[in-house]
Amino acid sequence: MRGRRIVLALVVVVVSGAIQTTLFARIRPFDSAPALVLLVVIAYSRHLPAEYALGLGFFAGFLADLLAQSALGLWALVMTTAAYFVVRFRDRLEDDFSLLGPFVFLVTAGALTLFSVLGTIFGQKTLADAGIVKKIFLPSLYNLLLAALILPFVTWVLGITRRRTAAFRL
Amino acid sequence: MWRPSNLDRTTGVFIALIVLSLTLVTIDLRASGEGIGATLRDGTQAAFAPVQRAVAAATRPVADFFENISDMFSLRQENLQLRVRVAELERELQETEGLQVRLDELEALLGVKPPQDLDSITAQVVAVGVSEFDHLRVIDKGSNDGVGVDMPVIDQAGLIGRVVAVTGSVARIRLITDPTVNIVVRVQRTGETGVLRGRGSGAMDLRMFSTNTAVVVGDVLITADGRFPAGIPVATVTVAARSEVGFLTTTASPVAGVTRIDFVKVLVFTRDEAGVDDLDDFDRLPTGVPADPGGPAEGESDDSPPTTTTLSTTTTTVGGTTP
Repeated sequence: MRGRRIVLALVVVVVSGAIQTTLFARIRPFDSAPALVLLVVIAYSRHLPAEYALGLGFFAGFLADLLAQSALGLWALVMTTAAYFVVRFRDRLEDDFSLLGPFVFLVTAGALTLFSVLGTIFGQKTLADAGIVKKIFLPSLYNLLLAALILPFVTWVLGITRRRTAAFRL
Repeated sequence: MWRPSNLDRTTGVFIALIVLSLTLVTIDLRASGEGIGATLRDGTQAAFAPVQRAVAAATRPVADFFENISDMFSLRQENLQLRVRVAELERELQETEGLQVRLDELEALLGVKPPQDLDSITAQVVAVGVSEFDHLRVIDKGSNDGVGVDMPVIDQAGLIGRVVAVTGSVARIRLITDPTVNIVVRVQRTGETGVLRGRGSGAMDLRMFSTNTAVVVGDVLITADGRFPAGIPVATVTVAARSEVGFLTTTASPVAGVTRIDFVKVLVFTRDEAGVDDLDDFDRLPTGVPADPGGPAEGESDDSPPTTTTLSTTTTTVGGTTP
């Protein structure tokens, strides 16, 4: 059961990477797209045991690194950090569901900002991008909107029927 | 006093993964795009391409639906603009015919082969980068089809970018709007050269070497020297140039539809085919060109982390590359 759920989580991450690079290449309102892989990591990190959530964040980031032109490990660092934040704050989110949307927005914006700063440090001139604010704000906004679909989807994939009171047992 | 027991298990795992990530970054940057990182990238891209194709095919109706909605709103206005444009083009065509004769003579004189003489490979864009910060496209043609690293890529309007990595069935293109890309260009109207630099999105920065000749709005910039065939339209000047510490600086918008690319052409071109055999890079620049115009010119700057499997054996210089 545990192995099946882990494999399923990895498959969801891979498919989200494929959707990110294909479907969202065409659907780009205001020339921007959601950060779907990051959103999936956030969604899984709400439920998985902490170490698994971090591992999934690292895997998703590493996959993004392999599909991107950034230095290998950069996205892995960013998504692991995002997963860590979600793990640290998820209990409070369970207490107050209304914070979930703003939390997704802030984690996405924070992760993209972290990537921009690290990218610049490692020579990718990310902060020199003329549309840097738009490239952080719009994906965060889209993630907030998509969260209404993705978060319940991941909850459903994990087979959780009730609200979580403790980390989901794989 | 701090002891390891102060850390909970989660934080310990987190720190370990962060250290692992930083190690990977260091190794990848030190390898300069070669080694295990490049092998992994190419392997992943090759393995991922079928998944991307399948997802693209499965989600095509959804994408078409949203695109059609988007197109519906813009179609009327676009139609009007196109009518005006057709009228302009008909007038320009008449003027151009005369200029073409003169251009052929000048090209023959310079020994520069126009890009039209080059073989090209038509390809379709199958995927984009995984984030908004990736200025890359993945095309459905690879080394099996004759695509090679460093080949220029164009659309119907002009230069899009350059192939930076190739596997058997797919290739990656780095767009000209990438902030690490500098291209030596020539103003078509005056012949003056300068360096065009990507800014990630929107208009690109243009820095002209000579302050004596004005650059005006609408000036077309074409490739000059370097790894690109001479004469490919790259951008159009959007703001009149201003003088700035010995340079003329302005901005220019790419002529190619960089944000909405579907089909592209890969020009089968290597530096050896430039047809400027007896002319060194520096000889083609105007006298008095500074040694460093503010960064390495053409292709990616030296400090950008390359992702190519086969790195070019060229080094970056002003005006292009030297073997």
